[in-house]
Amino acid sequence: MKKLLITLSLILGATPILAENIDITGTVQSRCTVNVDTPGAYGNPNAYTLTTAPASAGQEPIVRFDVSLANAYKAEVSYPTSFSSSPSLTDTVAWTGAVTVAQTSTSDMSGYQAASSLAGSKRTYALTVAGTTWFKSTSIATYGGGQAKAFPGGAYKSYLLASCVAQ
Amino acid sequence: MTPTYPTWSISAVQGVKKTTMELWNSRKDVGYYEVGVFDESWEPIPFVTAYRIIKIDYLSKVKFDIYIRTQDILEARYVCSLSKLRSNDESKTLLATRICSKFK
Repeated sequence: MKKLLITLSLILGATPILAENIDITGTVQSRCTVNVDTPGAYGNPNAYTLTTAPASAGQEPIVRFDVSLANAYKAEVSYPTSFSSSPSLTDTVAWTGAVTVAQTSTSDMSGYQAASSLAGSKRTYALTVAGTTWFKSTSIATYGGGQAKAFPGGAYKSYLLASCVAQ
Repeated sequence: MTPTYPTWSISAVQGVKKTTMELWNSRKDVGYYEVGVFDESWEPIPFVTAYRIIKIDYLSKVKFDIYIRTQDILEARYVCSLSKLRSNDESKTLLATRICSKFK
């Protein structure tokens, strides 16, 4: 019996330790994406105004933020304050605009607009709830420094800047 | 770009540190993104990367390194990717999107 125990212990002692590496893989998807929902367009209700207002045949640009992590990001949306391309302009252009929440995926986001802050043309929203938020912007450009001069003919472009910033 | 909290690591050059970022294009209408590094007040911070404007196909990923002087590290707060927009002849408002990661 004693010999058996010794033999058994030798066999067990000689048993190789079997180990296997098990990979753990993971993919981090983007937790904040920004996309165009509706491109904007200027209407020209009179000779000296360009506006995105639908009542003036314009179209308000709408941007969509998808966030899968709450309390991690800020949305910063700025309405235009200059043309990115235009015919040569010899007089000043006055810019006004606004950024507002157009739609939300959950009612928990209903307080976003009231809690937002404005600095110049940039409105900042704390994205405290995971989900989708749509922001829209109005943009009005008036030419002539209060003298109501007509915009020169040609194509005018400006751009809205929408940023998703880690908090 | 996936907003994250990147950290600086040592590089092969003395006095220069680097971080690696990953850019992912979720916009079908955009093919190029510009990379920038900014301080708390959104003032640009000097940095080096292989290409400041990166071509990236829709739903594709690109990894790239950003190098910065050690003396600028405390000021660098954000690294951002800004979509580059194509010109056309229509009067319209375009949408530039920017995704920013934050150094803590």
